[in-house]
Amino acid sequence: MKNYKMAWRNLWRNKRRTVITASSVFFAVFFALVMRSLQLGTYDSMYKNIIESYSGYIQVQDEDFWENKIVDNVFKNSEELREKITADRNVEDVIPRFESFALASSGSRSKGVMVMGIDPEKEKLLSDVEDKLVKYRLTDEAISAIKSEEIPAYLEKNMDLFHGNSYSSDGRLQIELGIKENDEEYLMPLFEKYASVKNGYFSMGDNAALVGDRLARYLGLERGDTIILVGQAYHGHTAAGKYVIKGIVKIPNPDIENKIVYLPVDVCQTLYYADGMLTSMVVHLMDDDDDAINNTLKRLDSNIESPYRILGWKEMNETLVQQLDADNKSGIIMIGILYLVIAFGVFGTVLMMTAERRREFGVLIAIGMQKTKMAGVMVYEMLYIGLLGILAGVAIALPSIIYGYHHPIHFPSKFAKIWEEYGFEPVMAFQWIDKYFLSQSLVVAIIVLVAVIYPVVKIRNLKEVNAIKA
Amino acid sequence: MKVLELFNVHKVYNTTHVEVHAVNDVCLEFEEGEFAAIVGPSGSGKTTLLNMIGGLDMPTEGRILVNSTDLSTLKSSAIIDFRMRNIGFVFQSYNLIPVLTAKENIEFIMNLQKWPRKKRDKRTMELLKAVGLEDRVDSRPAQLSGGQQQRVAVARALASKPRFVLADEPTANLDTKSTENLLDIMEKLNREENITFIFSTHDARVVKKARRVITLEDGKVVSDEIRE
Repeated sequence: MKNYKMAWRNLWRNKRRTVITASSVFFAVFFALVMRSLQLGTYDSMYKNIIESYSGYIQVQDEDFWENKIVDNVFKNSEELREKITADRNVEDVIPRFESFALASSGSRSKGVMVMGIDPEKEKLLSDVEDKLVKYRLTDEAISAIKSEEIPAYLEKNMDLFHGNSYSSDGRLQIELGIKENDEEYLMPLFEKYASVKNGYFSMGDNAALVGDRLARYLGLERGDTIILVGQAYHGHTAAGKYVIKGIVKIPNPDIENKIVYLPVDVCQTLYYADGMLTSMVVHLMDDDDDAINNTLKRLDSNIESPYRILGWKEMNETLVQQLDADNKSGIIMIGILYLVIAFGVFGTVLMMTAERRREFGVLIAIGMQKTKMAGVMVYEMLYIGLLGILAGVAIALPSIIYGYHHPIHFPSKFAKIWEEYGFEPVMAFQWIDKYFLSQSLVVAIIVLVAVIYPVVKIRNLKEVNAIKA
Repeated sequence: MKVLELFNVHKVYNTTHVEVHAVNDVCLEFEEGEFAAIVGPSGSGKTTLLNMIGGLDMPTEGRILVNSTDLSTLKSSAIIDFRMRNIGFVFQSYNLIPVLTAKENIEFIMNLQKWPRKKRDKRTMELLKAVGLEDRVDSRPAQLSGGQQQRVAVARALASKPRFVLADEPTANLDTKSTENLLDIMEKLNREENITFIFSTHDARVVKKARRVITLEDGKVVSDEIRE
């Protein structure tokens, strides 16, 4: 009988133990994969939010701008530079930006804000500000009006919790207020009737602004109000302007939402006395895979020389990258602890399997089975247990992750509020199947294989005459 | 033809306080086809002697030649290989492999020796028939009685036609009927296949069937009686 066949039969001598051990491996793989997918997916979502709402993957700036973000460190929006950038095989387009700071005021309130001059059409390629315009707002009036209708009790409670919040999509509103699928048809027209906000977008040359929802709330601004911006302009001029608010925008990154004012780029250049100048060109990529980004960065870096500087998204979002990197490490430690627990479980099984079969090992060696063959049988047994657990773990984790990828977890209403207060979007996303799938399974396989060292050593040192007496 | 020779064999165990002479200066020779019993009271050294003959244990002093080969000169893996080809074992508590059927247990050694399938099947069926278990081919040990398991163990020991079979108290766990039956089978196979059988036993029924009885006391051979 072949080793693998004998090992398979041995496995089922003690079904319960095999099932328990394989289950522990299964749970380790399942939880490790799901936890990892969730963690990496949430990081990706955070990165994506900041990249798509602000930095982009690559920016070309004046070489001094990143260190010293003053409007004097700008560069000319030249066709030559644009052509140089778009000549790269992974570059789809270049999005012009003029970014600076100003003091925004409305009535008696003022706040330091980030002014972002954008090309209203080209920006749709990246942050798509138009899509982020607020659609619904839960004002006191809106809440009272909706409450006057016949609505479920849970909605009343959740509306109070999210009083004052804004939403740029139906989906977001439904998730945050916990609107049940069956109630959607009845409730959504009520929100449309009482809570909808009419916002507009701007075009190049419009003397108009779009304001982040949190900032608008702080300054008490609505669509149609005027915002006044005062700051330092190019070469010591004073920047001052007033703009009609055409829309309020909801940004997935609460920190940015708290300080952003969008202007058409040409209007922004005029505000800062820097016609034809830009603070950055955001490079829109065809392939935004990590390797592709790095390669594009390298190519652009070697093709575009001083006085320009090429910045990657990691460099531009250093704090977030470091924060998530630290969190990632703590996640790895957690998974490490999980593995440690599983490793002890597997080792316990191996220990029992070896101890209770000592006599059998002695007999088999006595009748002529070589110790290497016997160890081979044990290796097969542990491989089977490992494979059963790993395959089952992967098989169950796979659909869970695929489902989670398509249906990210939105925090229940109460927690969403807390999460947002910490400056994070209250969403936990899953990462698509990637290298972590192989690495996590491999780690568990290694644990199982390391555990098999014990019986192999025991068999090698076995004295058959003593083992038979056992 | 001599299959086994023991020259001044000693086995001394060093316990914490005293040295125990389990086997003390034993000299024996076994011819092909013998049906011998080693008898003696508990602690007389029967099992130790059998273990040394089978290469499971090594003498402290003296030499044991199996087919003119001194086992103490072989490496561990070579001893295992030598045992597989030359010695059959029957244990007191059967020690069949629980996950294998009766047929697979018997085939086990032939498999290790890489016998061709046809030859293996023929020999297995021959032995199953000889031990009267041709109708229990696919039964696992747990599905067999003690007597039936011991018959499978005897068939396993004989499977690859060893030079001799060592049986340590083979009837100790069997009832009278199973013992008679097993002894008849072993005697028949001994005569038909001319394989040497060496038992260690307390059992008078085994002693009665034996054609040579060696008596051990305190590790020494006190009598060696050959019967016809």
